[in-house]
Amino acid sequence: MTDTGYVLTVIALMALVTILLRALPFIAGHWLRRHPLVHKLGDSLPLSIMVLLLIDSAAGQARAHDGLPWQEIAAVILVVLLQWRTRQTLLSIAAGTALYVGLRAL
Amino acid sequence: MGYVPLGAVFGFLFVQAGGSGWLAMASSLLVYAGAAQFMMVPMLAAGLPVSAIALATLVLNLRHVFYGLSLLNTLPACRWRRWYCIFALTDETYSVLTALPAQERASRMALISALNQGWWVLGTALGAVLGTQAQIGLAGLDFVLAALFAVLAVEQWRARRDVVPIWIAIAAYAAGSVLMPSQALAIAIALCLLAAALRPARPAPRTGAAHD
Repeated sequence: MTDTGYVLTVIALMALVTILLRALPFIAGHWLRRHPLVHKLGDSLPLSIMVLLLIDSAAGQARAHDGLPWQEIAAVILVVLLQWRTRQTLLSIAAGTALYVGLRAL
Repeated sequence: MGYVPLGAVFGFLFVQAGGSGWLAMASSLLVYAGAAQFMMVPMLAAGLPVSAIALATLVLNLRHVFYGLSLLNTLPACRWRRWYCIFALTDETYSVLTALPAQERASRMALISALNQGWWVLGTALGAVLGTQAQIGLAGLDFVLAALFAVLAVEQWRARRDVVPIWIAIAAYAAGSVLMPSQALAIAIALCLLAAALRPARPAPRTGAAHD
């Protein structure tokens, strides 16, 4: 992470990929909307991908310590319940992360 | 305002992982995608190939295509404002905008977007400054990324109330872990893409938000 050229290349590429994805519907929206496949992907894919990323990142955290991943499970449950009930993104993330850091420090 | 603490955690983690503060700022100014920025920190620290990080960003931010599709007709008329709003269409901004009445969106979109990014950049700066001074690393602080994914999953669920994509994801990840544990996520994403394409189309969505 000390190689400035490498980090800058990554930032530039990530920025490019992100703006292209965000611009795509405004450039090709009417074309995209006509395709039933796009609707089907839009119905399922975002939730599937978020669940996958959640499982993968929680599993990655769990691999960093020994034993069963009960800290990860407890913290994820807290985040999900808080977000579902309050819709306060910051509160959910802060409480879940605080619980997780606390449990890991035990 | 909600973006300040999260931006601060990003700045803090970025600097603690060995990055310079100004590069953390550059990410928040140019990439401006919360989850992707949190994801980039461990990937940069591990020195992963640029192509792998770009591909991960593509998958993670794919949802933005569907955000844009639902806001298609509510962009500001001014060219510069319009492009800025497209660039700055994050999860948080999207959820604020969709909560507004459709006729107010176009006029307030640019201001809301700019405020959100301003708070995010300010938070990044604060976190980066703290990160260069603090020496203690809290084990588990990077759990914010998992927490952010959990929040985004809950919001996707709220918008669609469809349980099938969750089961598809769990089954796909299990299959990926069995087939090739080191590439479990990539295999699982491919399987989810396939499953979403092969699924019979759902009847008309229950909420009108996607088509207004």
